[in-house]
Amino acid sequence: MNGDARALEIDAVSKRYGDLVALERLSFDVRAGELFGFVGRNGAGKTTTMRIVLGVLSADAGEVRWGGVPLDFAARRRIGYMPEERGLYPKMRLAEQLAYLGELHGMGGPDARRAAADWLDRFGLADRRDDELQALSHGNQQRMQLAAALVCAPDVLVLDEPFAGLDPVALDVMTGVLRERADAGVAVVFSSHELDLVERICDRVGIVDHGRLVACGTVDELRREGPRRLWVDAPGAPPDWAEQIPGVAVVRADGSRVLLELGDGADDQAVLRAALESGPVREFRRAEPSLVEVFRGVVGDSQAAEAPSVV
Amino acid sequence: MPAVTAWPTVLLVARREALVRLRSRTFIGGTVVMVAIVAVAIFGYSLVGGRTTSLDIGFTTAAAALEQDFSATAASMGQPVTVSTVADEAAGRAQVSAGTLDVLVTGAPTAPTAVVEKTAPAVVQTALQRAVLSARFTALGIPPGVLATVTSGLQVPVDALQPARSGMTQDRVVGLGVAILLFITLGLYGSMVAQGVVEEKATRIMEILLATVRPSMLLAGKVVGIGLVALLQLAIVAAATLASVAATNVVTTPALEIGAVAGYLVWFLLGFLIYATGYATMAALVSRPEEVQSAVTPVAVFQIGSYLLAYLTLANPTSPVATIASMLPPFAPILMPVRTTGGDVPVWQVALALALTVAAIVGVTRLAGRIYANSAMRIGSRVRFMDAFRG
Repeated sequence: MNGDARALEIDAVSKRYGDLVALERLSFDVRAGELFGFVGRNGAGKTTTMRIVLGVLSADAGEVRWGGVPLDFAARRRIGYMPEERGLYPKMRLAEQLAYLGELHGMGGPDARRAAADWLDRFGLADRRDDELQALSHGNQQRMQLAAALVCAPDVLVLDEPFAGLDPVALDVMTGVLRERADAGVAVVFSSHELDLVERICDRVGIVDHGRLVACGTVDELRREGPRRLWVDAPGAPPDWAEQIPGVAVVRADGSRVLLELGDGADDQAVLRAALESGPVREFRRAEPSLVEVFRGVVGDSQAAEAPSVV
Repeated sequence: MPAVTAWPTVLLVARREALVRLRSRTFIGGTVVMVAIVAVAIFGYSLVGGRTTSLDIGFTTAAAALEQDFSATAASMGQPVTVSTVADEAAGRAQVSAGTLDVLVTGAPTAPTAVVEKTAPAVVQTALQRAVLSARFTALGIPPGVLATVTSGLQVPVDALQPARSGMTQDRVVGLGVAILLFITLGLYGSMVAQGVVEEKATRIMEILLATVRPSMLLAGKVVGIGLVALLQLAIVAAATLASVAATNVVTTPALEIGAVAGYLVWFLLGFLIYATGYATMAALVSRPEEVQSAVTPVAVFQIGSYLLAYLTLANPTSPVATIASMLPPFAPILMPVRTTGGDVPVWQVALALALTVAAIVGVTRLAGRIYANSAMRIGSRVRFMDAFRG
């Protein structure tokens, strides 16, 4: 296995539904061993992208490759998939259901049964292996859904909103499993609106808006692309001291502390000098934007009402 | 492309479909009920109307010389008899009126009288005539072997221009039974296929499946798996029928011989391939279980039409309508087996019906693959047939 050389490449993929442009030359790649967060507003094109990767939808243009080779039907069997619309057979027993899905992905019968038992065990469902899916609680059905994506020991995991509706314990289990799979060399891509979670666990993040990739990189890289902000605590300064510096705006004030946003060309050293002139400076530090702030910055505040309301 | 061959996947899907159905109460209960109906019908018939229950024949001492010939002839005609010698004629008559004897034979062996409650069965009369002939030959001093020589080949072969239908009633009952059974089973398992298709759309597992399985494989696996379960159920019912027939010995029609019954199963299989594929195709257009019935109605109409035509066929098997319809799919799978229960279907007509049906299956399967593939992922409102056809 040549590990990191392999990647899932989405290359200039376009898709239209009638007049609606769902994807416009969307490109990004997910490397083996990497946890990739795919974020965007509702309707931005995340689900469409994933369906095209899985071949459930066909792209109008562009290509999806794995290890440099266009994905075909056989190669797609090496992908574990958790669709946005959850679904398994309600009246099928858990162990049989997982083993069946494993076999559909090309595993042999005994291997599939062993993998099914392992994952049931892992998700604490071993004692319910002969229960029908419909007898499970919502949370356990979610776990089964993830197990269904994992059972075939995939090279690539594509998960559409895997954390929606999970309780905190299930969330920890799921993020733990995804991290572990990525560390084992699987290319993992998932979509989510839980931006603070994405920020915490993802190696890289892609932000999609109106079918286009508007930002892509590690969380640190994205932060650098976000607005430059400073926390300054100058207790002796007059209330409007900062607004007089060219290119600087006050985002909010917290007692004597102010959060400043520096526009293009604004000099942070000029800010520091202005603060010192007013008296003592107790705090002067760069404010790292959160992923949510980066997201709002690149997707645009005008549509912020539709953006996830984290923070 | 490293080929993903279709058959292992189709078999995998078929195995799941079959296992789920085999475990269901519908299958187990349905099989038990069907076997019970057939067994009760045949055993009931043998008790009420059966003519081959053993007959008790009494002979007075004077007529006792007829016993041996009589028994032998009756046995050769397939009629089991128990012969006994009664003390005297009065005692014998008493037994006949009491019902312990079916027939009392009294008088001289060359000119006996048969005493019965109401009527003497034809087989008894024939066997008696033969025994009396033998007795008269003996009385004339002619050796017994002569009779056999003289009567051998006496049955003149009949070359009828319009062959009469022997055992017409039994054939009709069998024909009706075959029509009902095919109709019910096709409907039952056809709608199972339709429900299964919609279940996959309604529960959204379709999206996971289609990521690894082509729509045509999914469709084929479903039809094959459920079809095999249906075939198994019918084979069990057929075996129960044949066993009941063998045990009671009341049914003598060729319509219930093993070859004929195997033929009905073949027709079922062909009919299932047409109808189940049709049901699955129409069901793929909708996404909610409650919409299935209305979606499959266009297919069901043909099936009900075949059933109604089966009555026409039974009433008048040689009518032009019955003859033509029995060769045309999708009517042939129900009508042709019904026609064959009456016998006398020209081989070329059966062959033509088979050929047309197989051709129709190929056509329906092609169409179904296209419609199914184009509508499987369209979840929500009903997909229009022509939209699905165009893709």
